[in-house]
Amino acid sequence: MDDFETFLNNGGIVESDDAMPDEYRLAVFRFIELHANSEQMGGLTERDWIPRTPGLRHKMAVIAKTQDEFGHAHLLYMVAADMGIKSRREMIEELYAGKSRFHNVFHYRAKTWGHQVAIAFLVDAAALASQQAVFKNCSYGPYRRILKRIISEEGFHMRLGEDRMMRIAQGTKMQRDMFQQAINDWWWPALQLFGPDSKPNDMLLRWHIKSERNEVLRDRWVQKFVPMLQSYGFTIPDPGLRFDDDADRWVAGPIDWEPLKKTFANVGPDSARRIGEASTHWEESAWVRQALAENNTVNELVQT
Amino acid sequence: MSLAKGPAIDMLRLEAQVHSAVSSVDDPEYPGISIVDLGLLETIQVNDDGSTVIGLIPTFSGCPALAIIADDVVAAVQEVADVSTCTVDWLSSPAWHADRVSHEARSCLERKFTVAVQIGQRSTTCPLCASKTVEQSMFGPSRCRSVHTCTGCGETVEVMRG
Repeated sequence: MDDFETFLNNGGIVESDDAMPDEYRLAVFRFIELHANSEQMGGLTERDWIPRTPGLRHKMAVIAKTQDEFGHAHLLYMVAADMGIKSRREMIEELYAGKSRFHNVFHYRAKTWGHQVAIAFLVDAAALASQQAVFKNCSYGPYRRILKRIISEEGFHMRLGEDRMMRIAQGTKMQRDMFQQAINDWWWPALQLFGPDSKPNDMLLRWHIKSERNEVLRDRWVQKFVPMLQSYGFTIPDPGLRFDDDADRWVAGPIDWEPLKKTFANVGPDSARRIGEASTHWEESAWVRQALAENNTVNELVQT
Repeated sequence: MSLAKGPAIDMLRLEAQVHSAVSSVDDPEYPGISIVDLGLLETIQVNDDGSTVIGLIPTFSGCPALAIIADDVVAAVQEVADVSTCTVDWLSSPAWHADRVSHEARSCLERKFTVAVQIGQRSTTCPLCASKTVEQSMFGPSRCRSVHTCTGCGETVEVMRG
């Protein structure tokens, strides 16, 4: 392990068929699996909104974003399966059985278009910041290369999110009220997405899977979005939020981590419905997989 | 007799400036790769009054980046002195095809993004090890891309196709 860590500290990149310590393999696998599961559940969330978007411009964007998320999930599941711990099928089945984890933000329900705008604007930015921090210094080559493309595409989602936010912020009072409510509902889940402060012995940092501490990323996000939302006349639902004149920075109030822990245990506000619906879709599409398998038109990878 | 700078030469120069402005616009999903290199630019029309019409073709008609690309093109072209207005027309023909991707863009896609470009019916090769790739799914994160696996190094490769 010492030699391996020296290799990593010298900027070494691990490829899928390289020898690697089991602990490292498992840590990388779990990280990619969590990311893949989150893209998969995110795609399902986005898809729910295809028939309900206000206007064609947004509809095109939502359709494409849905395809993006599923495409990302697909690529990530392939990279994760290559690590030889679980097959793609096992990962999907465990996810739909409620035995796996996915990001906290997909354990809440997007109830209004305002929520969708807040997700595209605030949550996507938080997810993108986390992915950028992984990409910057990721020691696992196949994941790093996939991330490069995912990040470019998520950056594009951010632009769509900004476009949606500008439209709703310049809209009627009803639209602005709807967006303020969405900020109230999504501010904390977005902030919690970064996770609690990183522990000093965080192996993900030590093995160059992540490159920045959770609290650093979270703080950077706060510095960006507090002034931006305020400049459009919206308020931040954090009574403890204050501006530190000496440090010239925004300081967030104390964060309640209980909601995050609940989502980790798949008992968040909307977890049961989300997992249940995903699982129903999976069962209802069984005939498609079976027909493909019988016709032998798919590569064996898809069946395993 | 000196060769006066005629209006025709000015128009040619303006057209060249407009072309280079359009070339400065990158694809929103591939920062660093110009939309011209991806084969999106079809026509440039510059009129005497300085109005310009840029004819672009989408990689596929439902592409969600169309509005953003058009906004970026208008912003870039309006920076050119002597241009009064700029509009973008999305053309329905000819259809975009992966053959339109320039050699430079192709090698940049391979190098920077590990994305291969499928030319005609030829099989694609892995950007990392040049072995043959096998299609896993017709569609990847975008309709203009499929997902392949490399038969050599096992890399998951996205393939841009027409």
